[in-house]
Amino acid sequence: MATEALGLPFEVGAASAWLVWILPFIAALIMPGIGKLSKNTTGYVAVGFALMSALSAASMLPMALEAHEIHDQVMWIESIGLKGGVLADPLSIIMANVVGWISFLIMIYSTGYMKGDKDITRFWFWMMFFIGSMQLIVLSDNLLQVFFGWEGVGLASYALISFWYRDKKKDHVGTEGRTVLGLLDYYAPTHAGMKAFIMTKVGDVMMIAGMLLIFLFAGTFGFRELMDDHTWATAMSAQGLLVPAFVLLFGGAIGKSAQFPLNEWLLEAMTGPTAVSALIHAATMVKAGVFLVARIGPLVFALGAAGILADQFFEIVAWVGAITALLLATQGMVNPEIKKVLAYSTGSQIGYMMMALGVAGLSHQYVDGYTAGFFHLISHAMFKASLFMAAGSLLHIVGSRFMTDMGGLRKHMKKTYAFMWAAGLGLMGAPFITTGFWSKDAIFAAVYESGSEWALPIFAIAVLTAVITAFYTTRMIGMVFYGKKSRHIEKMEEEGHHIHEASLSMWVPYGILAVLTIGIGLIGFSAEGGIHHLFAEYLDHTFGIHTAHVESGDSFLPAPLDGLNPVALGSSLVAFSIGIGLGYVFYIGRWVDPVKFVNSNIFFYAIHKVILNRWYLNAIIYWCFVVAPLWLSRGIFRYFEKTAIDYGMNNGFQKAVGWGAKVVQGTQTGVAQSYLFVFGAGLLFVVLILLI
Amino acid sequence: MLEISSTPLVIIAILGTIGVILPIISIARKETGSNSFYAVIAFAALIVSIGYVAYQFVTEHVLPSALFSEDVLVDDAFGGFFAIAMLIVAIFTTVGSFNYMRKQNHPAVYYSLILLSTIGMVLVAYSTDLVMLFVAWELMSIPTYVLAGFMKRNPSSNEAALKYFLFGALSSAIIVYGISISYGLTGSTNIGEVIQGYSTLDPSFLPLALLSVGLFIAGFGFKMGLVPFHMWLPDTYEGAPTPITTLLAAGTKKAGFAAAIRIIILGMVALNLDWTLALGIIAVMTMTIGNIAAIMQKNLARMLAYSSIGHAGYILIGLAVAPFSSMGIQGSMYHILNHAVMKGAAFIAVGGIVTTLAVTNLDKLKGLGRRMPITSLGLVISLLALAGVPPLNGFWSKLMLFGGALDASSSLSWAPWLAIAGVLNSALSLAYYGWIMRKMYFEGETEKRVSEPKSVIAVMIFSMIFMVALGVYPDPIIKFVEMASPTIGLGITP
Repeated sequence: MATEALGLPFEVGAASAWLVWILPFIAALIMPGIGKLSKNTTGYVAVGFALMSALSAASMLPMALEAHEIHDQVMWIESIGLKGGVLADPLSIIMANVVGWISFLIMIYSTGYMKGDKDITRFWFWMMFFIGSMQLIVLSDNLLQVFFGWEGVGLASYALISFWYRDKKKDHVGTEGRTVLGLLDYYAPTHAGMKAFIMTKVGDVMMIAGMLLIFLFAGTFGFRELMDDHTWATAMSAQGLLVPAFVLLFGGAIGKSAQFPLNEWLLEAMTGPTAVSALIHAATMVKAGVFLVARIGPLVFALGAAGILADQFFEIVAWVGAITALLLATQGMVNPEIKKVLAYSTGSQIGYMMMALGVAGLSHQYVDGYTAGFFHLISHAMFKASLFMAAGSLLHIVGSRFMTDMGGLRKHMKKTYAFMWAAGLGLMGAPFITTGFWSKDAIFAAVYESGSEWALPIFAIAVLTAVITAFYTTRMIGMVFYGKKSRHIEKMEEEGHHIHEASLSMWVPYGILAVLTIGIGLIGFSAEGGIHHLFAEYLDHTFGIHTAHVESGDSFLPAPLDGLNPVALGSSLVAFSIGIGLGYVFYIGRWVDPVKFVNSNIFFYAIHKVILNRWYLNAIIYWCFVVAPLWLSRGIFRYFEKTAIDYGMNNGFQKAVGWGAKVVQGTQTGVAQSYLFVFGAGLLFVVLILLI
Repeated sequence: MLEISSTPLVIIAILGTIGVILPIISIARKETGSNSFYAVIAFAALIVSIGYVAYQFVTEHVLPSALFSEDVLVDDAFGGFFAIAMLIVAIFTTVGSFNYMRKQNHPAVYYSLILLSTIGMVLVAYSTDLVMLFVAWELMSIPTYVLAGFMKRNPSSNEAALKYFLFGALSSAIIVYGISISYGLTGSTNIGEVIQGYSTLDPSFLPLALLSVGLFIAGFGFKMGLVPFHMWLPDTYEGAPTPITTLLAAGTKKAGFAAAIRIIILGMVALNLDWTLALGIIAVMTMTIGNIAAIMQKNLARMLAYSSIGHAGYILIGLAVAPFSSMGIQGSMYHILNHAVMKGAAFIAVGGIVTTLAVTNLDKLKGLGRRMPITSLGLVISLLALAGVPPLNGFWSKLMLFGGALDASSSLSWAPWLAIAGVLNSALSLAYYGWIMRKMYFEGETEKRVSEPKSVIAVMIFSMIFMVALGVYPDPIIKFVEMASPTIGLGITP
């Protein structure tokens, strides 16, 4: 093995791959015990284990850079020949590092954010369980094992979203009393956790159906085994089941990554502690769906190259991504709650990633879109984690989730202010200096150059979304840090609360990520080139997907930007400028009052209302799948259960049995003579039957 | 000839010696109190016996299930299997009595009688001769008549003993009558020879042969608690001291089945009889009447008594379908072993409750889960196992029984109805088991924990482990049953 060249025996590499996901689980297991001994220690243990897990991931990086893979299997269920194992290839190693390190920073942040919570042990338990499950997804070598991690992530998210299960008013999301289509748009943590669990479960069921469908034909869940032998795909394709199976798998990703139409749980997920939101949005959970698509995408593409076409899969991925990107971005423009804005933004950015991964399969240069999507995942993980943690600080200090309760904070929280700008610029895709710019630009280019029939409409949606993204990010920063102090803050100050910077353990993690967003952004182009090269080799080596070398030709761009697509670059710059410009006008310069502006025109008013009501999607889902079934079940209860079942069956049956029991007991007189008589009669009876 | 080291002889030696010596010791010591001394000796003797049976199995000194032999006893796997079941019950009874007998007189006699009765039970399973079987049968029964009436100042104990004795005497007479007919027809009392004689019987004698089989069914059916020979059973189980009820319900009852398998089934095979209908009807009647009567009971011991009638019905399913499905007879034996533990544990728990709280009425069991947590847990698990809830051991044996009935459906079109009746009855039985659990755990609020008898706790823990572990991993027991079960319908001739 090539790892020997590094002086490492092979086993060490495999061991780190196992450790990455096992360590967090160990931490989770010992957490209750530690919590019994000393609650204050739990945080250190969690951070320590998160660090060890991240270091294990980092130790595999050299292998990723050399494009080598570790595939270590153990027998899992012997009777059906099922193997479990770890698969550390460049894709999973990079992902494991993103997850590991971001989680580690979030854990540090949590030590400050959750300080003094009396249920802290439970918090750490589920956080470590969450990270372990995610790493299990990342490093699994087969679909079934992925599914175990997948469900673990779902369970942990449920437990953490409803972490504050006492449902205090301050832990709700939404505006109290506001209704949409007659339904309250105001959710308690326990409700939110349930909602997340059930909505993602819809996807999970699809996923397991897809998995089993493939297993039925292939007899294996293993990614590599599926790749090595294509006969199963030929058989499935002949029956027209190949595309449905892949789409069902993607259904799991839709649920987990909060893509349209299963996107609505993501907003209510904001009831969890902000550290949880950061973990869900930056490192775990929603990224799991993207990772799954990145896992199976090359397989589907390679099958296509071998003549077993499944293009519809990529079309669906691309369109779901595009629709989600736009749909959620629009809602980010109007929502008054800072965490919800960020949540919408996450869904929208994940949509970008899906879009790229989908478009990749429709183009001839698979690696372009693939790299773009994955690079965006990395850069998004950094700036979104940073933004969430910063938002958490704001919530922590201001004591309100509404941006209208903030305002004018830039003088009091200088560090947070600066970091939020830096990370926010990453989200907006500020040209040339942020990672977000490079990754988004790569997506634009991949879409534009894909040559698919859908390229142009999707490209238009991508650019429009970029405008909106820049706008809502500016709006968020403007509302929080600029303008006058809100009445809420003035009241706090009158009561003697001092508005101050967040504590060290809190601002350092998001500071690091904000700095990284800019820092890596400065060398972003070559970083992207590096990943591109790495993945090109990986795809070629593992899946046989060749990457044609493209001559850069005579571009009019200056030398450092040689190789960029001018149309994509231009659109990106324009979108950024328009978005930040509009945002500046309304929220930083405050030249126009946004409320008056919206109310000035019936058209704007109507649009604003539709968007604020979440395009009515949430309300419609509730009407169809919550309210209507409840009515139905109440009706059945009243008109069937209470009548036919209760009066008819239950009482009737009970009466019949009671009557029977009385009859039987009646024979049990206690008189020995009558017993003897029955005995004799029985003997006669038996002999008679035998004689017949 | 049997070797001197063969299992039945060694058990006779161990238990017989101790059983005889115990009263002598008590006379020598001139005391009547302190029961634990005798209990420990009896317990040790039983442990040594069960250890010897197990040792014989492990060292493979045991013959395969032979069923026939020229001797009066045979040291085969079938007998060994029942011996283990009986000895477990005897151990339960002894341990359960530690506490129950604490304030009673004549402990030495009490334990001595238990040991003697145990010898009888074990020998019934090993017998291959009708006279030997009858002697063993009486050796098993007579001590239990005394034991049932051991509380001599308690009227209901006396009533229990009297009724039990009355029916015991009747059934013994019936058995002897059956034996005499078969001897008259075949000129032998060796089971193998009797059966061979039956198979070559002149057709004109057939009604007499049938009568003998009918008499055996009635005679053994009395001990097995088959409807309609069951009438004595609830009264006796309720009135007898609870540990003795354990012995009756879980032990002597199973000896009836051992005898039934040895004689009735084989006799019917020899006579080429279609007996499935008769046994099938009795099975369904037995389980249905047992369960329905149990539902309305307020007395815990009596409820369990009816439940044990119901279980006799399940076990009989396996015997009824025996010629068509080997799974049936295996299921029966498996369920016999399981029932010995489950019902034994349940009765010991009831005995613990009676001695500690002096209540048997269901309505007074409120909050028992708080008062006696371990006993309650053991009782709940054994009730669930009796109901056949997976993953407890009772589930697997019921599965085999009902599976056997389904298995037989290819040659016996109505056999699946036996399975259906069994499943419905199991569901019905959950109604009253659930009632007990509800009383124990979901009613009452203020009860304080009382100290539970240690001997009862020991039985509870052992049986909980048995029920759960062998429910989760039933393989070894199933293999054991497969080994010990006889092949019915093949190799009739000895």
